[in-house]
Amino acid sequence: MTQQTVLPEERAHPLSAWKRLSYLVRVKSADPTLLLALALLIVFGYLIFAPVVLLLVDAVTVHFADTARTRQDLGDLTFYYLNRVLLSPISRDLFWWPLAHTAIISAGAILLAFLVGAPIGWLLSRTDLMGKKWFSTALLVPYMLPSWTFALAWLTLFKNRTIGGLPGWMETLGFTPPDWLAYGALPIALILALHYAPFVILLFGNALKQFDTQLEDSARSLGASPLTVARRIILPLMMPSLVSAATLIFAKCLGDFGVAYVLGVPVGFDVLATSLFRAISTSQAGASAVLAGAIVLLGSLSIIIDMRLLKEARRFVTIGAKGAIAREAPLGKWQLPAVAWAFAVFLVSAGIPLAALLLTTVMHVPGSFSLDNFTLDYWIGTDLGTTALHQGILLTGEFWLALWNSVWMVGLAATGAGMLGLLVGYAVVRSPVRFVSVALRQITFLPYLVPGIAFAAAYLSMFAVPRPPLPALYGTPIILVLAILADQMPFASRAGISSMMQLGREPEEAGQIVGAGWFRRMRSIVLPIQRGALVSAILLPFISGIKGLSLVVVLAVPGTDLLTTYAIRLVDYGYSQAANAVVVMLCVVAFAGTMLVQKIGKANLSDGMGSK
Amino acid sequence: MSSIVLENIRKTYGRNAPPAIADLSMEIGSSEFLCLLGPSGCGKTTTLRMIAGLEHPTDGRILVDGKPIVSVADGLFTVPEKRNMGLVFQNYALWPHMTIRDNVAFGLTLRKMPAAERDATVDQVMTTLGIARYADRYPGQLSGGQQQRVALARMLALQPSVILLDEPLSNLDAKLRLEMRTELKRIHAEAGSTIVFVTHDQWEAMTLATTIAVMSEGELQQVGTPDDIYERPANRFVAEFVGNLPINIVERDDGRSDALHAWIDRCLTLFAVDGARVASAGIRPEALRFGSLSDEEVTRHAAGQGVIVDIVPTGGSWIVELDVAGHRVFAIATEHPQVTTGEQTHFWVERHHLHLFDRDKKRITL
Ligand SMILES: Nc1ncnc2c1ncn2[C@@H]1O[C@H](COP(=O)(O)OP(=O)(O)OP(=O)(O)O)[C@@H](O)[C@H]1O
Ligand SMILES: [Mg+2]
Repeated sequence: MTQQTVLPEERAHPLSAWKRLSYLVRVKSADPTLLLALALLIVFGYLIFAPVVLLLVDAVTVHFADTARTRQDLGDLTFYYLNRVLLSPISRDLFWWPLAHTAIISAGAILLAFLVGAPIGWLLSRTDLMGKKWFSTALLVPYMLPSWTFALAWLTLFKNRTIGGLPGWMETLGFTPPDWLAYGALPIALILALHYAPFVILLFGNALKQFDTQLEDSARSLGASPLTVARRIILPLMMPSLVSAATLIFAKCLGDFGVAYVLGVPVGFDVLATSLFRAISTSQAGASAVLAGAIVLLGSLSIIIDMRLLKEARRFVTIGAKGAIAREAPLGKWQLPAVAWAFAVFLVSAGIPLAALLLTTVMHVPGSFSLDNFTLDYWIGTDLGTTALHQGILLTGEFWLALWNSVWMVGLAATGAGMLGLLVGYAVVRSPVRFVSVALRQITFLPYLVPGIAFAAAYLSMFAVPRPPLPALYGTPIILVLAILADQMPFASRAGISSMMQLGREPEEAGQIVGAGWFRRMRSIVLPIQRGALVSAILLPFISGIKGLSLVVVLAVPGTDLLTTYAIRLVDYGYSQAANAVVVMLCVVAFAGTMLVQKIGKANLSDGMGSK
Repeated sequence: MSSIVLENIRKTYGRNAPPAIADLSMEIGSSEFLCLLGPSGCGKTTTLRMIAGLEHPTDGRILVDGKPIVSVADGLFTVPEKRNMGLVFQNYALWPHMTIRDNVAFGLTLRKMPAAERDATVDQVMTTLGIARYADRYPGQLSGGQQQRVALARMLALQPSVILLDEPLSNLDAKLRLEMRTELKRIHAEAGSTIVFVTHDQWEAMTLATTIAVMSEGELQQVGTPDDIYERPANRFVAEFVGNLPINIVERDDGRSDALHAWIDRCLTLFAVDGARVASAGIRPEALRFGSLSDEEVTRHAAGQGVIVDIVPTGGSWIVELDVAGHRVFAIATEHPQVTTGEQTHFWVERHHLHLFDRDKKRITL
């Protein structure tokens, strides 16, 4: 029988802090989540935090090669490098001009991306544009492919005699493009703009979609003209998404190495990323650390501004009523011009460049359309008589090695990132100590603030020499795998965190109740439920890693070439057809991967899973 | 089959949060069917989860069959995996990636039961609960009621010594609710398990439990049989929380002295109760009698007088609303009341139906 126990008049002896601690340790040790979180914190402290810190330290300490010049000892604090990069006579070529160029091309890219992207974002989200579905995939194609692919395509079309190698199509057709059209700021900005226009299309389009038409209507009913509505109501509400797209594009341009390398470097047009690359390849460790630090600083600033604004934006979203149906404006007689415009953008940003690339690979002389000019030599020919490349790339060992390297290194890194991302998600969501979970979240997000090429520089600082427990890693595949893995952590951990948030504790607690220990719960409950999330947390980093150049160009050596670095090497040798062929293969892999992810993503949604 | 004892349990979530459970002591006898009853947020789920081991108490001890499984003072904490308790979650928490059969079999697999024996047990449990047909479906393909049976089957397959249920009926429609209620009673009768059942629905508690524990704001208000709780509420909270139609309360200290107060005073005199201690009085609507009385009867019952304001039929019984000096007083008639609205009527109460409370809102035993 039940009765209420008589309560003792006073509390049993107050517990000593020690007793309480030992109890808490007992409780927490039943669940290794905290241990997992701490272990992950150490791993990422080593793989992400340490390299970045070391890079910053490298910028202000004396390196071995410079002990004589600085008259200081190895490792002393010095302003020599800062001085050299920012103030000395060579600072103009090393830093200030590249900075100005970077500013110009980012500004140009942002402006152009908006001119192209914003109308399309509106067409796709708020009008009855014909073939909307097709366009909304097709217009994102440029972003699925590596940006410098388009630089190669540009070169294929507009290359002139200023640099060596085969002529471009224009040249062959009898028109010599001027330098300002063939190289430098204009084409770089244009290509970056087309490549990052999908940001604008997506962000601006989504914001427009969520925008409550009632706000618009109520203003109209108060007698405001459509122009006033656009200026006073729509624009302010769209501002966060616009600024967000702009800062993202800026951060991306900052770290983008390939486009400027292909179109700028041959005519001495340097941006920060290429200047950093030159400093690294000429072994100026101190200067490259300063340059990389500057890029990190600018990148972080822009992202932090963006995050601030996103918070603002969330405030706005709550103002706009939910569930409002976005009205589709009928285009009427503008339908045809609109479709033509969208299609033209598709042609210029994806169709023509890809076609040009593909065609080049089957032509001896680019742009000459006589029948005997067509050939499959660059794919499967033999005895080509060129110095370094005797066969078509499909018969060349290095190509297959590079492909294999790309697949296994990026595959391994992506798998690692995906798994770790899920574990990070678990640790962040479940960690009983808030501080640990916040730290873990921030550290895995850090590479996002560090543009690829600067992150590679950080990895050089960290792993060019032995760092116990690891030996010196430069020149080995391991450094590439680790760098790609770390670089993909922001996405992988975000994916992990959000899927763990959705999972909730209960399925796992139900496992505990029937007697499953922690490892068993991980294996039989948590991971299987998250299978779908895991697949995309692996595949998306894989795609993004396989087309990435900025990060690996610094870290790869001929033995560890990936498809991207191999293509760039071919560009350096002037074998443009072969380089293009490699790029075409790369595009095929990246595009197929993206499509695969979309397929799988859909399949998961309707999997008969999820008992809510 | 197991008894559970909670001793001075305190639970705070986070260092500076107010305690979710302030100081809870309770005994749950072996094979008892105990309902934890209380309003939302009073700490029922927290209590249940501490028994299961999914939360740890900040202070106190929990004993099962006399052996401590948690004791803060001794640094003792048994993990939930080792407690052999069955818990059914409010939203079932089935594993979406396993078939129904696998959901039910998982715990047995962990216990390394031979495959043949395991399959037989699983089939038997699923058949009893009428879900054998869905064995190869996934939880997402079942209705709420079917999922709920799966959750029960998953728990029952392990034959736990203690069964913990967190509002298991709250997502079901009326018919399913009745079916599951019968099911639970059967399980309790056949297996003789100790069952702790959380609900904020008093009807559920009344009809299922052998014992009810009423909680409010993290404190235990009363433990007793359903009849105890209903007929002898330990305090004002229990009196007001339990009962379909809220109990009629007369505050004697509210500074007014009208006909209703005068009526209570006369009742106290009639029942020979020392009125000084009584701060408030409560009469359940079904205990309030009404009708026309002769003067002699009025004196005998210490009856009061009021006006009938409204009569609401509720199918087999009628709620009668009286106005007494501006107070609303409710009564329930089980036969068609022979009165009409606007009529004057007498009302009175029997001695054992009058609940009296002191200034601390505690029950005064007559
Ligand atoms: N994980 C938690 N962290 C912080 N506070 C909590 C947590 N879980 C419960 N609480 C708080 O503890 C108190 C008791 O919560 P509990 O879930 O036990 O209530 P309940 O009686 O089960 O209510 P309901 O009937 O709504 O389910 C509430 O005030 C709640 O806000
Ligand atoms: Mg609850």
